[in-house]
Parts: sequence; structure tokens; C-alpha cells
Amino acid sequence: MSTTIEMQNLTVQLGSRTILNQLNGALSGRCIGLLGPNGSGKSTLINTLLGFYEPIAGAARIFGKEVKNNLRELRAMIGYMPESDAFIADMTGVRFVRYMAELSGLPRGEAMERAHEAFFYVGLGEARYRKLGTYSLGMKQLAKLAQAIAHGPKLVLLDEPTNGLDPEARIRMLQLVREIRDTGEVSVLISSHLLRDIEECCDQVLILKDGRIAALCNLEEERKANLKFLELEVTQGNGFLESVRGLGCECASFGAGRVRIVLPDNIDLRQIYRTAAEHEVQIRRMNYRRDTLEDIFLKAMAGAPPAALAQKGSANGSL
Amino acid sequence: MAVYKRTYKAYRGPLTPVWSRFTVLSRYGLSTLFNSRPFTAYTVLCFLPFLIGLAYIYIVHSAAAQAVLGVGKTIPATVNNDWFLGFIGIEAGMGFILAAWGGPGMITKDFANHSVQLYLSRPISRTEYLIGKISVLAALLSCTTWIPALILFFVKAELQGHGWLWENLWMAGSIVLSCLIWIAMISLISMAVAVWVKWRIAATALMLGIFFLLPAFAAILNAILRTQWGNLINFTHMITLVWMRLFRESQAELPPAFNGVPLWAAWASLLSVCAACFWLLDRKLRAREVERS
Repeated sequence: MSTTIEMQNLTVQLGSRTILNQLNGALSGRCIGLLGPNGSGKSTLINTLLGFYEPIAGAARIFGKEVKNNLRELRAMIGYMPESDAFIADMTGVRFVRYMAELSGLPRGEAMERAHEAFFYVGLGEARYRKLGTYSLGMKQLAKLAQAIAHGPKLVLLDEPTNGLDPEARIRMLQLVREIRDTGEVSVLISSHLLRDIEECCDQVLILKDGRIAALCNLEEERKANLKFLELEVTQGNGFLESVRGLGCECASFGAGRVRIVLPDNIDLRQIYRTAAEHEVQIRRMNYRRDTLEDIFLKAMAGAPPAALAQKGSANGSL
Repeated sequence: MAVYKRTYKAYRGPLTPVWSRFTVLSRYGLSTLFNSRPFTAYTVLCFLPFLIGLAYIYIVHSAAAQAVLGVGKTIPATVNNDWFLGFIGIEAGMGFILAAWGGPGMITKDFANHSVQLYLSRPISRTEYLIGKISVLAALLSCTTWIPALILFFVKAELQGHGWLWENLWMAGSIVLSCLIWIAMISLISMAVAVWVKWRIAATALMLGIFFLLPAFAAILNAILRTQWGNLINFTHMITLVWMRLFRESQAELPPAFNGVPLWAAWASLLSVCAACFWLLDRKLRAREVERS
């Protein structure tokens, strides 16, 4: 897959504070998640990609073109949905989106057509002639999405798109993002601090912490790896762990009968029960789960070295 | 992204030329301004001095019209540099209200709900954004100042005869130049104030303050310090001084208030205010403001 965004020692300083500190990495997912706690530099990274902030060192590239030197060309290919309110209150929704599409270079007729289509697409078709100032928060978010996609960009940058949305609107927003992603015509970068949003949409995730890359994971690969974890509490049983290892599982004992097992694809849970029975081991408690983005995020936040977390799910198999 | 299919589809059609993008801002700006009926009515009113001037020039040159109106001996028959300077003064005054009314609103609406970031995330620069917005004011003010003044000038030339045109051709240049200086200054102040204040009513009030309160402050300075240099912050005086020189008014005809300020100082004052506006626009007209810590 071709690289969408590339960062090379990207360092951004605002005032005297370093907000992004030597970011390196290539993002090539169809839908890239940008995760991190508040103040970790997510929005700053998006603003830098848009050319609003100039790096003091390093460079960012979008579709192989350096942002600094190809700003106009790249902006024509980008749709941006900001985190904060961004609209002209006394303009009707469709006029606003048409206006933005015309600024992106669409001729008047096409801009009008695409504005109507975008409004219907995001589900605001009936409200398109209402003034934006009268929209609810959820409608404003959708209108922002409409203006971001109306001109048919190749990359859509969504900064906290589900902020302030009720559960229903959030589901609708994420569904739209997935639909846009699945067309295969556009790459999406979503910044969020909500893990579920990222997990539901993205195939690659970049986790930032204090302006540095804490993890860069390919969620698609993680899902393919399909690692399953078992957390067991068992009575002491001689040879149980050795037998489980003999099945091809990775095991670790934490004392007091607590055991963690990584199940490979070909091992059925039934085999673990059978092995326990053979060794007359009682399973007192069993917790079965897959490794989640939450694990990855928590490990990243705990300060695990990026190398251990980065790339192709190397973090997942370790105990 | 067909409406009936409700699926996303990329745009592959033609694009407008890059250089023409700022005209979208102008077009939408004009259309937004003229959505307001009072503003439209006032803009029409701004053409009243032009119509009166046109009628006046015609009457001055038509004995029949003078006879019909019975003003043959009472009407002053001079349409000269003084007359055109007076006409521009009136139009500029009316245009100032136009700029103070419509100018800030074009920018403050963008700042009020942070939509500037949406403009600047598209392939237009800050300069193009500014040009797009200023061109609305420039077009409106041109239509109410130098364009009607030039029309009157050529009507006068036509009625007076060819000799008058060649003798007074310099006046056409003075009309255009003096109006362009004023338009540039008023538009820049309007935009800078709007960007700085970000609230239309306050921005309009501030503009009025610059042109009505600063002269009062200048007068106080003059009185306290027994000088005329306070007039440097009286931009109405300064531009009038420049206009008078452009219209070849003699030094003796200048009002006493202008006597203490040389022409270069007036130019410097006007250029300074324009430079200050550019600085303010450069600082504030950004997609994101950075707070220095």
C-alpha cells in the first residue's frame, strides 16, 4: 500500500513549547487513527499537515509531497473537519458547503450539485436550507463533514469527529467514516481520544504521548494475528503448564495459581480443559479475551519503549 | 455521491483556475452584503450626490434648463478642481459609512465561528483571502467615488468643449489617485479592525472612533502642547491635506488647522496607518493563533 503520510524528524514548536518532538513514521492505512491523551499533539499534527504550523525541523509528506513546498496542491487534495465549531452562522447549510467547494476549485454548477449530494449523503438533506446557526451540535458536526468531502478530496482529516455527539449520532458518524473509507477512493485520518472510535474505523493507529510517538500499530495486522488471551486461576497442578506449552501455547505464571496463556489459532479452548482434566487441575476462574487497542494504548501510555510496540503487532504476543 | 445512491464518490471534473479562487470570496461577500435591504438602500443613496452633480453640470451648461428652472443668475457656474474636491469629499464621507457598515461584517462572520481555518485549509492563501475580502469594499467604494467622479469629469469636458479636457486632464488623475488612496486606507482599517475585534458591532464602533474620536484627541493634543502635530492622528485631516495638494489647492487656501503639518508628514501618517493595518492583519489573520508562553 502506498504511503499516505510520512514524517521525518518532524518537530513543531509553538512559542517556547515543543509540541511535536522528532516524529518519524510512515502511515499507509486506508483509515489512520490518531490517538493520545489531551495535549499529546494530535491536533497540532493535523494542523502541521495542513500547513497551519511550520515545523522547526524535519518534514511531513503527504502522498510523497513535502507539505511545506506543495501547500496549495496538497490542500486541494485534503478535506478538513476541525474539532471546534467552524461555520458561518447566517448562511444556509447547502450554501456554505457550496461556498467551500467553490473555494476548493469546483465550478459553480458542480459545487452546487456536490453540496446537495454531500448534504444528502451525511443525512442532512432535509435541513440543507436552514441556517447553520440553527443547527444542533450533531448537525453541525455532520455539516462540517459534508464540507470536508464535498470537493472529493483524496485525504480527509477528521479532528475529533464524534465530539459532543449522542450515541446515535456517533454511530452514524462512524458509519459514514467507514463508508468513505471503504470506497477506496479516499484515505482518512481521524484524531480522537476515544479508543472505540478508532478501533471501529481504523486499520492503522498512531499513538502520541507528550508530542512523541508512543506506538504505531497496524490494527489490520493485529486482527489478522488473531491472538487470543486466556487468564486462568487454577489450583496447583504439576506439569499443567508444561503440557499447555506442549500444545504450542505461550504461558506465564504469576504465582497463586494465576496463569496467562496465548492461544495460537489452531488450539481450541476444549484442549485446555482436557489438559487441565488430565492433570487434575481445577480451573477456578477463566477470562478469555483478545488483545485490544486499549491494551496497546495503555502499554503505550505506561511508557513502554516504542520499539516494543511499534509495527506489526509485536507487542501483542508478549506476556 | 449521487443523491439517490447516497454513496461517496470522488470528484473528477474540471477545476477553476487557481488565480480566480479569490473571486469566489468577493462574489459571496457582495451577495452577503446585498442580502441586507438597509445596506442595499444605503448603497443606492450613495449615488445621489452623483445624480445631483450630473444634474448640476447639465444645468450649468444649459441655458434652456436654467431658464426653465429660473436659476440663470443665481447658480454658480464654476465646475473646477474645487468642485470636484468637494464632490469627492461628500462621496468619501458616504463611502466611509458604507465601509464601516459592511466591511467588518465580512470578516467578523468568519472569525465568530472559527471558519477562517476552513478557508485556509483550502488552496487559498491568507493574502488571497484578504484580497478577496478587500476587493468587495474596493469595488463598492470605487463605484461610489472615483467612477462617478470620472463620469462627471468627462460629462463636464464634453459639455465644456475639448480644450477644457486637455487643460484639466491632470484632474482626472487626481480624482483617481485621491480616491484610491482613500479606498486603500479605509479598506485596510476596516479589515484590520474586524480581524482584531472579531465582533461586527464593536468593529464598526471602533472604525467610527478612529475617524471621530481620534480627531478630538488630536485637537486636545494640539491645545495642550500648542502644536499642530497632533493632527497626524487626525486621518480625515491628513487625507484632506493630501487631496488638496493633489487637486492643486494653493497653500493660502488651506484652513489654519493644516498649516502646521507639511505634506510629507501627511503622507507618512497615511502610510503608517496602512503599515500598521498590514502588521495587524499579518498577526491576526491566521487559521490558528499561537499563544506565546
